[in-house]
Amino acid sequence: MSPEQTNLLQGTLDMVILKALRLGEMHGLGISRRIEQISQGTFVVKSGSLFPALRRMQEEGWISSAWGESETNRRAKYYRLTKAGVKQLEEETAKWERIVLGISRTLEAS
Amino acid sequence: MGADCAWDLADSGGVVTKKRKLRWLSRAVSFFRNVTGRQKDELDIAAEVSAHLDLLIEEKLRSGMKPDEAERAAQIELGGVEQVKEQVRDARTGEWLDALARDCRFALRISRKNSGFTAIVVLTLALGIAANTTVLSWISATLLNPIPGVAHTRDLVTVDRGDRSGYATPPFSYPDLRDLSERTQTFAGLLGYHDDYMSLTGVAKPERIYGALTTANYFDLLGVRPILGRTFLPEEGTPRGGSAVIVIGYAVWQNHFAGDPQIVGKTIQINRHPYTVIGVAPRDFTGCKTGLRTDLWIPLLMDRDVWGSNRPDYRGVVWLNALGKLRAGVTKNQAEAELNLLMQGIVERFPEDHRDRSNEISLDPLWRSPFGINGYLYKILPMLLGLAGVLLLLACANVASLLLVRSVGRRREIAIRQGMGASRKQIIRQFLIESLLLGLLGGTAAIAITVWTSRSLIAFFPPSSLPLTNDAHVDQRVLFVTIAVSVLGAIIFGILPALRSSSTPVQSVLKEEATSVSLTLHKSRLLSGLVVAQISLSLVLLVCAGLFTRSLQKAQQSDPGFEANHLLLASYELSPAGYTRATGVAFNRQVLDRLSALPGVESVTLADFSPLSFSIHSDYLQIEGYVPQPHEWMEISRAIVGPNYFRTLRTSVISGREFTEADSPESQLVAVVNQAFVDRYWPGGNAIGKQVTDGRDRFTIVGVAHNAKYRLLTSPTEPVIYLPMYQAFRPTQDTTIHLRTTGDPRTIAPSVEETIHQLNRELPLFNVNPLSVTMQLGTLFGRVAATFAGSFGLLAMLLAAVGIYGVVAYSTRQRAREIGIRMALGAEKGGIYRLVLDQGLRLILAGLVVGTALAVAFTRLLKAQLFGVSETDAITFASVGLLLAVVALVACHIPARRATRVDPMVALRHE
Repeated sequence: MSPEQTNLLQGTLDMVILKALRLGEMHGLGISRRIEQISQGTFVVKSGSLFPALRRMQEEGWISSAWGESETNRRAKYYRLTKAGVKQLEEETAKWERIVLGISRTLEAS
Repeated sequence: MGADCAWDLADSGGVVTKKRKLRWLSRAVSFFRNVTGRQKDELDIAAEVSAHLDLLIEEKLRSGMKPDEAERAAQIELGGVEQVKEQVRDARTGEWLDALARDCRFALRISRKNSGFTAIVVLTLALGIAANTTVLSWISATLLNPIPGVAHTRDLVTVDRGDRSGYATPPFSYPDLRDLSERTQTFAGLLGYHDDYMSLTGVAKPERIYGALTTANYFDLLGVRPILGRTFLPEEGTPRGGSAVIVIGYAVWQNHFAGDPQIVGKTIQINRHPYTVIGVAPRDFTGCKTGLRTDLWIPLLMDRDVWGSNRPDYRGVVWLNALGKLRAGVTKNQAEAELNLLMQGIVERFPEDHRDRSNEISLDPLWRSPFGINGYLYKILPMLLGLAGVLLLLACANVASLLLVRSVGRRREIAIRQGMGASRKQIIRQFLIESLLLGLLGGTAAIAITVWTSRSLIAFFPPSSLPLTNDAHVDQRVLFVTIAVSVLGAIIFGILPALRSSSTPVQSVLKEEATSVSLTLHKSRLLSGLVVAQISLSLVLLVCAGLFTRSLQKAQQSDPGFEANHLLLASYELSPAGYTRATGVAFNRQVLDRLSALPGVESVTLADFSPLSFSIHSDYLQIEGYVPQPHEWMEISRAIVGPNYFRTLRTSVISGREFTEADSPESQLVAVVNQAFVDRYWPGGNAIGKQVTDGRDRFTIVGVAHNAKYRLLTSPTEPVIYLPMYQAFRPTQDTTIHLRTTGDPRTIAPSVEETIHQLNRELPLFNVNPLSVTMQLGTLFGRVAATFAGSFGLLAMLLAAVGIYGVVAYSTRQRAREIGIRMALGAEKGGIYRLVLDQGLRLILAGLVVGTALAVAFTRLLKAQLFGVSETDAITFASVGLLLAVVALVACHIPARRATRVDPMVALRHE
């Protein structure tokens, strides 16, 4: 892990995964690479965190899954956002923005 | 930024609630799917992870890696297929349930596979738990359920009056109790009763039944509803309104009236007087004196009819027990203060009637009521429960050491599980579930044992003149506690091995040989500590057992002041059979004449009580030349005895003479007192010729007898006055024949019964038993304590011996290589023997030292229960310590001997 890489804040992994899936259905590795890409290498999601999170979110009803074929004709499980997932992403994003704003104000003060 | 900095992102607002509900629904569906579609789900997870791995490899290949390089890199990035799978499983809803089921199945498999080990552990636990549940079943049936058939007894108290150091005697006269209950504000009600035998007459075979004369509010205050008819009306308790009505017990209804559904309204005879049956009490209810069974209830003011006396009329005649129901919110102390205040007022108005006894009123909750059996049991049973608790602790230590030893053999299994991704928490959970399974199996077996042992208390009751009853059984309370104790015990004995085996680093276990790991175990402080704990706890139990046994021996060997062997007792009651004072005396004379003529009879006499069966009566006396302290309790044991009583009982008469046929109603009224009487009331003086009065008659002392114990062997001798049967006879009291025989007293019983039958065909003879049997009642509580403490102690010693044997044998086996090397290097057999024995010896010595310290602290609590031995009795401590040391050494000797037979070649090759 390079020095620039950072662990995701607890509780934010779900949000990041939902954000990645916003663009369309994707398999596990795809999600992982997508997150690396959009965070420009800041976040690396390990399989040991990714799959349990996918599982959990599926059970919450935020995402759904189906087996399909990859671009190289390999079997893979694809995930997509559900309506509840879209709503969840919106809420989490709003909440996150509130927190960021709050922290920025706190740090700027004094 | 650390991953453990958690943010509280809690939502707020009303929208959330609805969303939460949906989320729960989604989770519930997942839960159901996870629980039911287990296998499909497993395949799905496996397929997804392996597909993911394939995709990773493909990606690496595309970036130009060689195939084997790509695979390695992909594996590293993934971080282990099994670990990922395990992590996904953990994220599943309802995973805990699944894990639990898996752990349970595994635990079952493990215990089936090691069925020998399981059996030993379950047996050990079952005995430890059963000891507790047995005692608890007694506590539950007596202290916690003082009135069978009455669920709520918490607001009930017994009322006692006077000096509490002596024997509890009924505290109140009827007028006093009536005044108290009319004026009290702190009690919702006070009930009074007097219990004694009554005779059911007018039936084919008259029978004595224990009954009670009660105030009219008796049933209402206790909250007992009849199953047929009604209970007493208030007017049936008023003077002169007392009507001839009776409530009968369920057993009487069944046994004497065949459960007649029309019994209410019928007339039955009690002591030859007709009574109308108004109700039948429920099956469970047998009166409100714990441990004594009452089966008939008559309004108190019928006393005249039943016993022909006028006790309710007199303020000075105390004969009633009282029970009060506190008003809600009133404390015992407030009620006590109020009753004392009221009593003071009564005493001031009637000083003449309250001189003989202290008028201090005290209240007791029913579990330690001085009346009935609880007055004795509340001191013994908690103590036995404490001993049983120590035994259970020992059993837990024993099982913990067994599990610990076994867990070493499972190191590899655990290491592999850890390697496969099991967390420490999971390993501990697995271990605890196995312990829980063992605990619950032990608990189940304990219940089975307790079903049988809970009835054992009644086996200690000898045939006696008291209607003793005990219905201890496995009730809900016992069941609940058994389960709780099994679970708690499982945690206690399971947690140490679980923590220990889960904390070893995986690599060290997998790399090292099993033997080197166990080498650290034989030096393990934990295991040694457990063995020391077992030895010290068993020493504590053995010391208690030893003290109780010696105390019982001392009691049984102590001189009761009479010779109990070769004495046959048999009782009859004359007043229900229609005898008066004069005809009764004549009948008794005939009885003595006829019986003394029987072959095999050495001498025969009569008395109104029998020794050591709680049947001696007492009287208020005024003693010539003795000025009582204010309110000194002058109620003194009074025995009415026939001619030749002292000769027959072999109680020596120190000075003067004993009673003869000549002491008749026509001659001077005389009395004999015992030495304790003289010491107390006429210290240093001469008793002969002095006079004593019971308020009616005046008796002249003609003899002084040696002290004899009539209540408990373990209590100090008390003053007794003896009155001659022909002068002081009361037909309302039982007459007991005392017959000294040349041979076995049992063999003469039939001819005694035949003789009485010839004299009066209608007169039932009861309690025909040798004195040596009935006097067992006098050591009842000592025998209960000694028997149970004794069996707990022996069990404890056995467990400790098995414990130390197991640990020493195990570590010797594990040190086989070391021993082999030592022998190969020329160590002698004696040296090897000492090497192993030393290890055991150190543990034994440490256990003995710790145990002695614990025992000294513990036995202080037993002081009050011991008779004739000090609680730090050196002989008991020394002999018990020696016994334990020898047994433990023998347990170590076996593995030590085995160690000397180790063949160095075999031991070394074994590696």
